[in-house]
Amino acid sequence: MSEFTTVNHSVPRGDGIAKVTGSAIYASDIGLEHMAWAKVLRSPFAHARIVSIDASAAKRQPGVLDVLTADGLAGLSPYYGHAVKDHPLLAIGKVRFVGEPVAAVIAEDEPSAQEAVKKIVVKYEELTPVLDVDTALSAGAPLVHDKEYAGGAFRGFDDFPEGTGNICQAVHVEWGDVESALASAAHVAEGEFYFPMVYAYAMEPYVAVADYNSKSQLTVYSSAQHPFIVRHDLARVFGLPLANVRVIVPFVGGGYGSKSYTKVEPLAAACSWRTGRPVKFRLSVEEAMLTTRGDDARVRIRTAMDADGHLVARQATIHLNTGAYAENSPMVARKAANRIVGPYRIPNVKVDCLAVYTNTVPASSYRGLGGAQVTFPAESQIDELAEMTGCDPLQFRLENLAHRRESIHPGMRPIDADVPGDICQAADLLGWKEPLAPGHGRSICCSATDAGAHPVTLAMVQVYGDGSVSVMSGSTELGQGSHTVLAQIAAEEVGVPLERVRLVGSDTTVTLFERSTGASRTTTLMGRAVLEACREAIAQCKSMAAELLGVPAEELVEERGGIRCGQTRLTWAGIVERYFEMEGCSILGRAYLRKAGDLTLIPAFWEIGVVGLEMEVDEDTGKISVDSMVTIGDVGLAIHPAMTEGQDLGAATMGLGASLFEELIYDGQQLTNGTMLEYRVPRFSDMARNIQMKLVENRDGVGPYGAKGGGEGAVNPIGPCLANALYRATGVRIRTLPLTPERVWTALQQKRS
Amino acid sequence: MTVLRRFEIHQPASALEASQMLSHYGDEAGVYAGGTELLLAMKHEALSYRHLIDVKVIPGLNSIDQRDGVIEIGATTTHRSIERSPVVRQRQPVLAELESRVANVRVRGTGTLGGNLCFGEPHSDPATLLLVLEGALKLESAAGAREIPVGEFIAGAYANALLPDEILTKIIVPCAQPNQRAAYLKFQVHERPAMGLALWLETPDGGRSFTAARVAVGCACPSPTRAPAAEKFLVEKRLPDAAEAIADAADLAADHEGSVEYKRNLIRVLLRRAFLRALKEEEQ
Amino acid sequence: MKIVFELNRKPVELDIEPSETLAEVLRDRCRLTGVKVSCEAQVCGSCTVLVNQLPVSACTCLAYEVRGRRVTTIEGLADESGRLHPLQQAFLDHFAFQCGFCTPGMILAAKALLDENADPTDEEMIAHMDGNLCRCTGYLPILKAIRQASMAMRGQQ
Repeated sequence: MSEFTTVNHSVPRGDGIAKVTGSAIYASDIGLEHMAWAKVLRSPFAHARIVSIDASAAKRQPGVLDVLTADGLAGLSPYYGHAVKDHPLLAIGKVRFVGEPVAAVIAEDEPSAQEAVKKIVVKYEELTPVLDVDTALSAGAPLVHDKEYAGGAFRGFDDFPEGTGNICQAVHVEWGDVESALASAAHVAEGEFYFPMVYAYAMEPYVAVADYNSKSQLTVYSSAQHPFIVRHDLARVFGLPLANVRVIVPFVGGGYGSKSYTKVEPLAAACSWRTGRPVKFRLSVEEAMLTTRGDDARVRIRTAMDADGHLVARQATIHLNTGAYAENSPMVARKAANRIVGPYRIPNVKVDCLAVYTNTVPASSYRGLGGAQVTFPAESQIDELAEMTGCDPLQFRLENLAHRRESIHPGMRPIDADVPGDICQAADLLGWKEPLAPGHGRSICCSATDAGAHPVTLAMVQVYGDGSVSVMSGSTELGQGSHTVLAQIAAEEVGVPLERVRLVGSDTTVTLFERSTGASRTTTLMGRAVLEACREAIAQCKSMAAELLGVPAEELVEERGGIRCGQTRLTWAGIVERYFEMEGCSILGRAYLRKAGDLTLIPAFWEIGVVGLEMEVDEDTGKISVDSMVTIGDVGLAIHPAMTEGQDLGAATMGLGASLFEELIYDGQQLTNGTMLEYRVPRFSDMARNIQMKLVENRDGVGPYGAKGGGEGAVNPIGPCLANALYRATGVRIRTLPLTPERVWTALQQKRS
Repeated sequence: MTVLRRFEIHQPASALEASQMLSHYGDEAGVYAGGTELLLAMKHEALSYRHLIDVKVIPGLNSIDQRDGVIEIGATTTHRSIERSPVVRQRQPVLAELESRVANVRVRGTGTLGGNLCFGEPHSDPATLLLVLEGALKLESAAGAREIPVGEFIAGAYANALLPDEILTKIIVPCAQPNQRAAYLKFQVHERPAMGLALWLETPDGGRSFTAARVAVGCACPSPTRAPAAEKFLVEKRLPDAAEAIADAADLAADHEGSVEYKRNLIRVLLRRAFLRALKEEEQ
Repeated sequence: MKIVFELNRKPVELDIEPSETLAEVLRDRCRLTGVKVSCEAQVCGSCTVLVNQLPVSACTCLAYEVRGRRVTTIEGLADESGRLHPLQQAFLDHFAFQCGFCTPGMILAAKALLDENADPTDEEMIAHMDGNLCRCTGYLPILKAIRQASMAMRGQQ
């Protein structure tokens, strides 16, 4: 029997009815009175100077209200970006990737805008593009950016050294003495790995509806994951006080990191500012593919062990292809550098990670934030080392994994999970010791990612005199279930039925600041903020009760949902009503989490990813199919077990896509598979034949009731799991993802010859 | 959301009237059946028509009939109707099976066989099979009707032998005979197949020997290609030689679906598996 | 052009442009925003609606095509009293969605399957549903939901 009434139960989703009946409203469903529509003209060149723009024919077209180009941005601060303010609302002077917005048409309806876009004539003078990282880093390479930019709002939170040349960001992580350790090691695995350029394919493409009114108040409905950062960027662009910028995020049709940070909102807002009309700017999926992608990564890595089978050193150089603008790649670089260590004790580590500008679609957050990119080389190499010593890879991991309270990263929070226990559970579920059929391979891989991002999370709850509760949270509901989980916590704390709790948000005017909805942080940080806000409201109720009853507060006995004092029992709601002697009142509880107390140490928690799988390869075609997949969610406490398992399965499935077939492919300047006809994501038929998800609940997190976040861990180990299992099945080691049939077949051919 | 440029829809009462409409509007008119390929191309402005001639409203163009050893399939019959047609399932089951695997359930419900053949998308399935079944197509215009073999109809990627005012009205597929075997296999990673391979065999003795063979490959080349040179090898059960001959006949090109070398391999693999499938044997 | 059709059990008469897609008409004119548009290439299935009980990609189907036909969107799936369809209930029970953007199309595609095959095998379900993409769930919960709905609809709850 659970000690909990509401949390730790798979209660119905708060957004469930709306989502199965079609009444759930997404930003793409928002329409305002007198709303106009925007469409953009995109650059056909990867790198070119804009010589002239002639929009006269477009402006003359019936239905067109205006055409916005860089010239029309005068009066605004036309660059945005939370890390580096390098991203113009529309190309200014230069275009830096094929697909970059050059001009925006605002028209009475979308078809008119779409037609008028074709009538804009732009003259370009082509410049030599920088299309890959090696070229970008070579001496004398053309510069993607030839001017200095100001740091964005979140620059100051980390001590990133500035980049130079085409380096957007350089991150260095080091402890111990790697070179000596490598020199004296018994075995060293060395290799170069590549993780592909991927597209998150949130099914709802980027959309914003902006209304800049005559009082210089800006309201934006957006599909953004992080409304408060969007608000900040908008306030800077338009020179507005934060109080005048309202960002509302209804339901979001998928995020996976791709809707982190500011995307289409500034341009939508500029179109509204320009025309004085509300403007809707929605992209097609094909345009979304030209907006944000994941950083592809080339990783050169060496991992060393001593004669006793202990890891002694890891050295890695990571080059991220950041594309034309910084977006969140500086943070991806930081995280990739941290995460390549994995959940192991490694006494000597040296990692250099560069985020490098190229003339390609800007890269930014993608589920796992650098984790998938670096877990592939890191965990592939663990298997390679195990092989060198003839050790079972599971056993080898068990020898080297950090135990609870051990440090894997000097200065950071010690491990707050049971990783060895987790992989043993995976081994049991997978049948690790069972004999393998021919053509089959098995692997278990793990990752440890510094999750939670910067812990600034504020929340409010109202406890009403009628026994209902509202939770005002700036966390966005991306489908991860935040609205349900936060309501569960409030119901648990205030002792009311779940149906009496209402979630309000996200709306930057109504809800308090939450840095972001990502990094698997919501349950841990917002969940805890909601819990603390409830307890603060309850503390107020207790003082009120003491006053009402005329007794010292210490004489009140707290029970679920209220207090008892002798024979008198009062619910929290009852106290509120009696205190004010008025129906319809409420009180406000609030909580402000910041980097203090037990949240001083970064990360807020280590997110552990553990996946085991068994795959089968068709050696004739190279096609891989997954037989069994096991995920272990080491989540402290699952506030909602079914949804937590759902996060693991979803993340693992996304990992399967990037490991088996997802890859954006460039031919020169052009993205050549920028439609869903050509970019393949996992389908029903790709499902593993046997799927098991297991939650580990040791209540060892800093979140409510010991909870920790999930949702990203399982994406990371999939790539190395497949590569290691393929090795076990065939003896072929592939260091490039995705493991397309042709890539696997070619490797098999090479091995045979 | 991408919006279609404006056009008018016309509803001809007969194939003759459709032909007259095509003559009348010339390049500004396109034949519209299921629209699965056409509307996609028009959304991307790869095609642009002011007038669409909706041939689905022509009576009798979506029927499936059997007569004189052939199945006559009306050009506007959907993939789904063919997949489920008792006549097709009984008399040419390999076609029904192919149709059950075209694209996805929505495309099968709206897309038509005639539209598929006329559009000539290189990655589509049916034409490859119809080549080895030696199907024929009935084309009609104001000038009259003619019947041509599928092989003569296919004129490259997105190209066909229709005259400007002609419309496809019927697909004529020979019924399977007791001494014939056929299989269609495809290999697919992305939304559209990387390769389709159709095999047809004539065997007097239940697969021990062969008196005739036909093979065609599609999706991996600009248009489905039959490989006569391979067919004599097949009769002799020289599968590796046949595979090389097919690969030589097909104009294989490297693309996202694979290198030429990989596609040659797929031909080898699919040919072997198609052979086993046609003879209803499982690969060991 | 004028078209008459049945939309979610009610007769509708609309004056449309021949070039308007069914998705545009349903979303913009009929305010049925449960019709979700994503890939616009008939790959993802998020815009799936039923026309005479068959699944159709509303993004690439002309509204012209529904003249004289019965169109069902997710808004028309619950019965008149508002009682959820067994598929809707099963999707809730199995947490068979997260962001919910694919859900209307997913439920309608599954309805088309169960309406003609009341007791599909797993293989049949996968084959039928393979053209509906979900980026959140990893599909297993959806499969379980369809199985539950199949049983409920056959009175085997």
